[in-house]
Amino acid sequence: MAAPKSCALWSYCGRGWSRAMRGCQLLGLRSSWPGAPLSARLLSQEKRATETHFGFETVPEEEKGGKVYQVFESVAKKYDVMNDMMSLGIHRVWKDLLLWKMRPLPGTQLLDVAGGTGDIAFRFLNYVRSQHQSKQKRQLRAQQNLSWEEIAKKYQNEEDSLGGSRVVVCDINKEMLKVGKQKALAQGYRAGLAWVLGDAEELPFDDDKFDIYTIAFGIRNVTHIDQTLTLSPRLECDSAISAHCSQALQEAHRVLKPGGRFLCLEFSQVNNPLISRLYDLYSFQVIPVLGEVIAGDWKSYQYLVESIRRFPSQEEFKEMIEDAGFHKVTYESLTSGIVAIHSGFKL
Amino acid sequence: MATLLNPVLRRLRGLRRLPGLPRLAAEMPLRARSDGAVAGPLYSHHIPTSPLQKALLAAGSAAMALYDPYRHDMVAVLGETTGHRTLKVLRDRMRRDPEGAQILQERPRISTSTLDLGKLQSLPEGSLGREYLRFLDVNRVSPDTRAPTRFVDDEELAYVIQRYREVHDMLHTLLGMPTNILGEIVVKWFEAVQTGLPMCILGALFGPIQLSAQSLQVLVSELIPWAVQNGRRAPCVLNLYYERRWEQSLRALREELGITAPPVHIQGLA
Repeated sequence: MAAPKSCALWSYCGRGWSRAMRGCQLLGLRSSWPGAPLSARLLSQEKRATETHFGFETVPEEEKGGKVYQVFESVAKKYDVMNDMMSLGIHRVWKDLLLWKMRPLPGTQLLDVAGGTGDIAFRFLNYVRSQHQSKQKRQLRAQQNLSWEEIAKKYQNEEDSLGGSRVVVCDINKEMLKVGKQKALAQGYRAGLAWVLGDAEELPFDDDKFDIYTIAFGIRNVTHIDQTLTLSPRLECDSAISAHCSQALQEAHRVLKPGGRFLCLEFSQVNNPLISRLYDLYSFQVIPVLGEVIAGDWKSYQYLVESIRRFPSQEEFKEMIEDAGFHKVTYESLTSGIVAIHSGFKL
Repeated sequence: MATLLNPVLRRLRGLRRLPGLPRLAAEMPLRARSDGAVAGPLYSHHIPTSPLQKALLAAGSAAMALYDPYRHDMVAVLGETTGHRTLKVLRDRMRRDPEGAQILQERPRISTSTLDLGKLQSLPEGSLGREYLRFLDVNRVSPDTRAPTRFVDDEELAYVIQRYREVHDMLHTLLGMPTNILGEIVVKWFEAVQTGLPMCILGALFGPIQLSAQSLQVLVSELIPWAVQNGRRAPCVLNLYYERRWEQSLRALREELGITAPPVHIQGLA
C-alpha cells in the first residue's frame, strides 16, 4: 500500500469539515489524546480513513474496516517515538516528576485517564513495587530472630508484591490501549493493571472509587477537535475548551474518594520571555517537520502546537480546578513553564 | 493586507474555471504567518513553509527515505522541498512547447476519477491506453497513490510537480520497466536526465545502494547507459499530452520519442 498522502480532509472547510468529523465520530474516533502528549490522533486517523480508498480494488465493507484499523494501529505505535523526538526525551523526566510528587502509599487505587500507552501506570507500578520491596527488607531486618519455619512461610506466602495498590488505565481510544497492553506484556507488567475504554467526560466508574486521579497530557485534548480546528475566533475556542475541561474535572471530582488527590500534567504557559521565543521557534518550525517525517502527518502536529498556545495558563487552570470543587489546589511549573503539574484534593 | 491578497485571489478565481485542479483554494481560510512563510495556502493541500522548515524537511525526508524505503511520501516531500529552481526551468520548457503550454493551461490530472477505464480497456492492443492499463494491472498499482503536492509555494509549479508524479507511470509504460526496485531506479535515471530534479538525481545515485551485486552489475553496465541515452535523446516527456494520445500506438510513440527497447529483460532480477 502506498505511504500516506497528505490529509485529503483539509480540502473540506467549515461545514464540510464538521460533516467529515461527524462521519468520523460514527467510527468511534472521538478526540482525547491519552498518554502520548504530543499527538493529534483524531486528525491523523481521519486522514488515514480517507486515504484508504484502495484505488482499483473494490474492498468490501468489513475488510475495509480491517484495513483502516491496521492503519490506525501503525499511527498509535508512532506516538511514543514522536514524544521522544519532540521533547528530546524530556517527557520521561516530567512523568517521573509527576510520580515523585504523587508519592503513592501502599494500597493506593490509581485512575490514570487518557493514559493509553501506559507511561504513568508503569511508573506507578515500579514505584509501588520498589516501595513494597524496601518495606519487606526493613521488616526482615527487624525480625532477626525468626525460626526457619517462619522464614519459609514468609517466602511461600506469595503475597501481593504491590502491597494492595492497583492502577486502572482509562482511554478513549482502543488502539492506544492496545499499544499500552502490548507494552505491558513486553515489559512484564501483569498484576495490578486494568485497561478500560472510556471517555474522560463521562467515566464508566462509580462515585468515590479512587485514591488518586491522574491525567497526563490528556486534559488539553478533552475537547471536540471539530469545534476548535476551524479558524473560529479565539473566544469561541477558549470557551469550548473550558466547557469540556470543566466536565472532565467534575468527573474527576466525582470518581475520587473523599481525601483523594487530583494530579494533572499538562503543557502550560512559559514564564521566561527568552525561553518562550526559543520554545515558539522550536514548536512552530521543528515539530510539524518532525510530525511529517516520522508520522507522515504535518497538520496534526501543527494543530497540536497551536492548541498548546490556547490552553489556559497555570493560574487560570488552577481556578478551573477550584471551580470543580477541589481544595488546596497548587501547581508547579517545570522547565520554565513548558509543562505544569496541578494538584488538588477532594475534601 | 488586501492589496497583497488581490493577485492571489485573482489567480484563485482563475483556477475555478479549470477543471483539472481539485477543491478550490479560495475557500481555504487565509491566515497570517509570522515565521516568514507565504501567507495563506495557494492551492488545496498547500502548507506554507518557512525556508528553515523547508531545509529541515529536505534533510529529514532524505534521511527517512534512505532509512525506510517504503516511505514514498518522504521521496515526494524531498522532491517538493528541493525542486523549486528546477521546477521553474521545467515550467518554462513546457511553456515554450505548444503541447506543453496546453497542458499548463488545461491542467489535466491522471487519477481513477479522471481516467475512463472502460474506454481504455476497449482500445486496441499495442495502443498507449491499453498498454498503460496493462501496466497498472500487471504491477498492481493504481494512479491514485500519488501524494498531492503540499510544500511548493507556487500553484503553477505545484501543478508541474504533480504532473511529473502522475506521468511517472507513463514513463514506466514507455520504457517497459516494471515497478520492482531495479525498474524504479532505471526510470529514476531517465527522469534525472530529463528533468534535472534534485530528488531524481539523489534517488538515482542512492537508490542502487541496497541492490545485490548481480543486479548492480547489470544496472551499471547496461541499464543506466541505456536510460541516460534515451533520456538525452527524447524531448521533454512532460510536454506530452498523454490524455490525447491514448489511441496512439505505443511503438509509434516510442519511435517519436526515440526510445529504444530495453537491453535486458529485468522482470526476473532484483
